[in-house]
Amino acid sequence: MVWNLLKKNISVWQIAGYAIANLTGLAIVLAAICFYCDVRSAFDDNDSIVGSDYLIISRPVPLLSVMSAGSQKATTFGEDEIAELRSQPWAGKVGVFQSAAFDVWAYVELGGRRMSTALFFEAIPDEFYDITPENWSFDPSDPIVPIVISKDYLTLYNFGFAASRGYPQLSEDLIKKVPVTVGISGNGRSSRFPARIVGFSSRLNTIAVPQEFLDWANGIYGEADRMSESPSRLIVEVNKPGDPAIEEYFNLHGIEAGGDKAGSSRAIFLTTLITTIVLAVGVIITLLAVFILMLSIYLLIQKSRDKLRDLMLLGYSPSQICRYYFRLVGFVNLGILLLAAAIAAAVSGAWRPALESLGLSGGTLWPSFIAGVVLMALITVFNFITIRRLVTKAAKN
Amino acid sequence: MCSFIYGNRSDYDGIIRFNDTDIHAYSIDDWCELRRRHLALLPQEMRLFPELTVRENVMLKNRLTDFMSEKEIKDMLDEFGILGKYDVPAAMLSIGQQQRVAIVRAICQPFDFLLLDEPVSHLDRDNNIIAAAMVTRAASSLDASIISTSVGNPLMLDSLAPQHSLTILKL
Repeated sequence: MVWNLLKKNISVWQIAGYAIANLTGLAIVLAAICFYCDVRSAFDDNDSIVGSDYLIISRPVPLLSVMSAGSQKATTFGEDEIAELRSQPWAGKVGVFQSAAFDVWAYVELGGRRMSTALFFEAIPDEFYDITPENWSFDPSDPIVPIVISKDYLTLYNFGFAASRGYPQLSEDLIKKVPVTVGISGNGRSSRFPARIVGFSSRLNTIAVPQEFLDWANGIYGEADRMSESPSRLIVEVNKPGDPAIEEYFNLHGIEAGGDKAGSSRAIFLTTLITTIVLAVGVIITLLAVFILMLSIYLLIQKSRDKLRDLMLLGYSPSQICRYYFRLVGFVNLGILLLAAAIAAAVSGAWRPALESLGLSGGTLWPSFIAGVVLMALITVFNFITIRRLVTKAAKN
Repeated sequence: MCSFIYGNRSDYDGIIRFNDTDIHAYSIDDWCELRRRHLALLPQEMRLFPELTVRENVMLKNRLTDFMSEKEIKDMLDEFGILGKYDVPAAMLSIGQQQRVAIVRAICQPFDFLLLDEPVSHLDRDNNIIAAAMVTRAASSLDASIISTSVGNPLMLDSLAPQHSLTILKL
């Protein structure tokens, strides 16, 4: 009965207008959050095209360095340079690639063939590794050398060399089982050690051995003039991968960052920026929609003022009367939320194939839905408070 | 005066007290409770909802306390001779019929005081007597008091005074 009284003054067009505007805003917000979640997997995944948190930096080799003897200096990093790098706001830890000051050879028996190659060793602090290899230590009394190589080398072998020659492709586990012999010579001494490849790194583009082995070996076999103080490669932990200040710094100091990862920091930055802008637009539209609703409700209550007063004269409390309006607004808002979520899910499904072709796995829809529920709950509470205030004010006049 | 007492208007000088409390201090919820269970009002302009039927207008009030049964309400309307209009929208009733509906509605609640603001201004003598008898019965059963105002056509309570031990104050 009361509803029959009140509903006469409700303008369906105004409510519909609010619903459409709010739906638009909320759908944009939810879709933007969906998009960000889907694309985020690119930021976090070390294997993906968009960069990781670690950059391996070096100096490009200048044209004339091949000719002159003292050319090493141009491509190394001095102590003060390393300190300056550490002090940058976007830089976290900085690690040094330490090289071997001796000659290294490796011999492998594989499928009846004996292969040998000249090699190099480098060591970096354990904290920079993206994998935790087993038995990553060295004991001079029982000398087995564990080695970590870059995943790319295996890929090169399997899909480049082996494929072209018809050799069998090798898995990581198989290679870990292959016994390797390492020969070291320098400083007038030479030795052979058994070795094993114990891990493959996606991050480190090198042939790495434990720091303690390299220190020990450099001590015995290291040649004085090769024990250079200055490293030629550094690994830098980057706090804000998308920060354009990083590229600026590198350009200024003539530094190259390894692989594709440097250029992708800009991609991350742009993606975040664009998503934020779209999100902001969606929020603004939603707020405008809420404003429209508040105006509509104000108008509605003004038109119904006499009826509201008569009802309260009969003994109806403002709370009782508000409840009818609450039900209307609550019902409309729930409908908007469900529709907006459905739209966001549909749109997310539409762009998923495109993302997958880029190698991105896509995120879940949950953060978006939760955000939608929270936002709608806030809007609804605000609506209720306003309705209550307006009805009570109508009672007082 | 009725508007002031009922809390409808507060543009007066002076103090009105219920049980020693100044009514200015009452909250909206206090007034709500008063109007449901302690004060009954028949406004001068009646204030029925024109789009609702007679039944709906009365039920709107009655269901706040479920004071009367539907049968009792129908009996009262029948006394007034307007039971036939039970499902007719109030807008289609004459003013006299509306006033009778408003009287029935006013007593569909428990009350300590019944405020009647020119309750029979549109009624003839016969209906005046019926109205007086009806409200007196209601007030007696609740041990309540009636405050009735008029400008020339008063509610005829005088003849009922002896039967119901009424005390009538004329101001």
